Amino acid sequence: MSENKQAPRAAVGSSTTSPGSDNNDIRRRGFFRWLALGWLAFAAATGGFFIVIIRFLYPNVLFEPPQTFKIGFPDEFSPNSVDTRFKKKHNAWVVRDDESIFALSTTCTHLGCTPNWLLTENKFKCPCHGSGFRITGINFEGPAPRPLERFKIGLLDDGQILVDKTKSYKWEKGEWENKDSFLKV
Amino acid sequence: MSLAALKSVIDAISAPTISFTILTVAFPFFFPPTDWFEKIHRKLGFWRLWTKKGGIIGLLLITAFFVLGYFDKNFNITLTKPDNFPIVLLIYSMFFYIWLGMYKAYQNDERLDAGLKPNEYNDPDDKVLVWPDLVYIEFIALILFQVFLIVWSILVAAPIEEPANPAATPNPSKAPWYFLGLQEMLVYFDPWLAGVVFPTMIILGLMAIPYMDINKKGDGYYTFKERRVGIFIFMYGWIVLWLFLIVIGTFFRGPNWNFFGPFEYWDTHKVVALNNVNLSELFWVKLLAKGLPSNILIRESLGFIAVFVYLFVLPVILIKTKLKGTYETYGPTRFVSLMIFGLGMLALPIKMYLRWAINLKYIVAIPEWFFNI
Amino acid sequence: MEKPDNKKPLLERMGESQVWKSIIRSGVPRTRRQRMHAILGSVFLHLHPARLPKHAVKVGYTWCMGGLSFFLFVNLTITGILLMFYYRPTVEYAFTDIIDLAEQVPLGIMRELHRWTAHAMVLIVWLHMVRVFMTGSYKPPREFNWGVGVILMTLTLLLSFTGYLLPWDQLAIWAVTVGSNMARATPFLGHEGPGAALLAIGDINLIHVGSDVRFALLGGRFVGEATLLRFYVLHCIGIPFIAMIFMAVHFWRIRKDGGISGPL
Repeated sequence: MSENKQAPRAAVGSSTTSPGSDNNDIRRRGFFRWLALGWLAFAAATGGFFIVIIRFLYPNVLFEPPQTFKIGFPDEFSPNSVDTRFKKKHNAWVVRDDESIFALSTTCTHLGCTPNWLLTENKFKCPCHGSGFRITGINFEGPAPRPLERFKIGLLDDGQILVDKTKSYKWEKGEWENKDSFLKV
Repeated sequence: MSLAALKSVIDAISAPTISFTILTVAFPFFFPPTDWFEKIHRKLGFWRLWTKKGGIIGLLLITAFFVLGYFDKNFNITLTKPDNFPIVLLIYSMFFYIWLGMYKAYQNDERLDAGLKPNEYNDPDDKVLVWPDLVYIEFIALILFQVFLIVWSILVAAPIEEPANPAATPNPSKAPWYFLGLQEMLVYFDPWLAGVVFPTMIILGLMAIPYMDINKKGDGYYTFKERRVGIFIFMYGWIVLWLFLIVIGTFFRGPNWNFFGPFEYWDTHKVVALNNVNLSELFWVKLLAKGLPSNILIRESLGFIAVFVYLFVLPVILIKTKLKGTYETYGPTRFVSLMIFGLGMLALPIKMYLRWAINLKYIVAIPEWFFNI
Repeated sequence: MEKPDNKKPLLERMGESQVWKSIIRSGVPRTRRQRMHAILGSVFLHLHPARLPKHAVKVGYTWCMGGLSFFLFVNLTITGILLMFYYRPTVEYAFTDIIDLAEQVPLGIMRELHRWTAHAMVLIVWLHMVRVFMTGSYKPPREFNWGVGVILMTLTLLLSFTGYLLPWDQLAIWAVTVGSNMARATPFLGHEGPGAALLAIGDINLIHVGSDVRFALLGGRFVGEATLLRFYVLHCIGIPFIAMIFMAVHFWRIRKDGGISGPL
């Protein structure tokens, strides 16, 4: 089989130099070109089809709760406390420390369970694998590899606070320095 | 009094640090892979586990453990959870069938020693008809099993808890029991390793077994002697690194994924010091008393070197020294796959002991890139 | 037309009737020849060869685990189809439908049968693997079929895992949350996996929470309505379809690789 394939190719070179040589080679060359093109087109169509199928798995519209929500006025939050009101619906804690208010994601950075705020022990504790986070969101025990993420937070014109979950800030990338990651009070 | 003492002893030795060590150390004496282990195995009577007496005693011990557990008010709670019943079945059936396989293997080994053919051998011309000789066996097995399933279904109601609530994570949250081995690995490894790379390697490694095992003997009959190294490696992975981790995950992991002995009360507020440190912190901060370097690659260089040595230098050293003969018989491709899957498998106990011994969290810790080893 | 011989026993007359003979061509399998025909002529039984070496029919050798695995798969298909008559995979109804299955439907143990059979199948498949390993039956020429078996075992676990979500209770949602969150960490393809940040055009990450491999599995950013539907479809049709193809290959190759293993 392979010999058959090799033979015409060797002959092709000679056929171009000597115009009077066998017609058969030229026809065969043309045939292999069309064959290659055909397979290429087939591969491209199949590949394109698979890409379309994969794209099919990602819908254009998601019926999930809105990603931005109002949480009220800054003075509603008492210093050094964790507000757990928005945990259920929006997966966020609102924390106020000495100088700022920030919104922490309730998704554990280990495997995405929801930790609980333990008031008496002053920490977030994940029930799945025991990761612990301080009130700031910094991890200090258990398998969690990095701190909880913070969501974008800002003041609206009416004085209320708006949390935007489409943008999150990671401590380990130094993003908590970003002005949108906390609200000075 | 003595019962309580017995329970506290069982609680104490159930701790992964102790039970895992006992299993690992005892393992080669029950499945002896070399002549030396074989000698001790015979001398100290470990081989008796693979006799009828050994099997019965083993089953009785398991039963005693469960009876003790059933009448203990703490263990009873975990033991009687409907979804944990399969684990009870798992412990019984795995013990029984591995025992059965080894029992038959030892019988055959004796026959082979005496120059006889294995028990399974029969004259190639002397065949039986599938109808009815096999069909009726299948029919009976099928009916008995169906009866068993119906009885099980009548006696044990399928679990149903509160309706799903995405905001309230139960404590502890467990994966289905057959994945608890993976969840247990998550204690020691990052999700990308324990949840993605290791499962992939387990599947590929299992599929690669027939291509890596070039021992032609022991095909089609139970035998231990002719394939002792192969059986040892497979059974260590299967029993200690998979089934045992499932048992730990089911019975011994309570709230906050803390360890609890089987007879211990699951106290949500049990305080366990979890101050794990990374290799980089050990090296730069504790050993050199400096701050961590700001350059990530320099900070983690020691971890990278350690992983590199483990994965690439160690096999080369082994080729030159201890496994020279193995390398020559197996050839480069087989040897490399043996090394990949073997070192991958060994990484689990190594990381476990590093955690227990020096509270090591990550060998390479780059949370910035989600790259932790 | 031949006149039926009334003196012959009923069973024999039945065996010679046109109806019977149209179904089982060889008549009542009494002779050696008829018995072999009973196996060869039946589309279901011809999974088996007509004759086997003696050790191969012994429960002590095979533990019957492979046959039981297949039986449990059929069993789960039947109970599963019955459950589908009552179960609706939506957040609103899923949980209450499960409750109703126990309380409002006659023979209230159908879900139990399905669930416990599924657990048993995982066990039986594992035991099958242990048996095949212990008898060295993966050795040449059966290497490929062992690989097919490993895939079938993985599919069994995935079937069981996708089914775990369907009751939509706390047990279900959190087991699946823990399990599927590992997909976040898939190298390159998960948004929290190593290397995912490299797949970016300028400042825009190609792999984020709404575009990674976990999203394709869950159909959302978290385990919710879309996840329930996707898992339901995978559980009822997707994975069984793939498993059946592999099973066909598995059974075919047992025969083609020389039948059940045995000593030479």
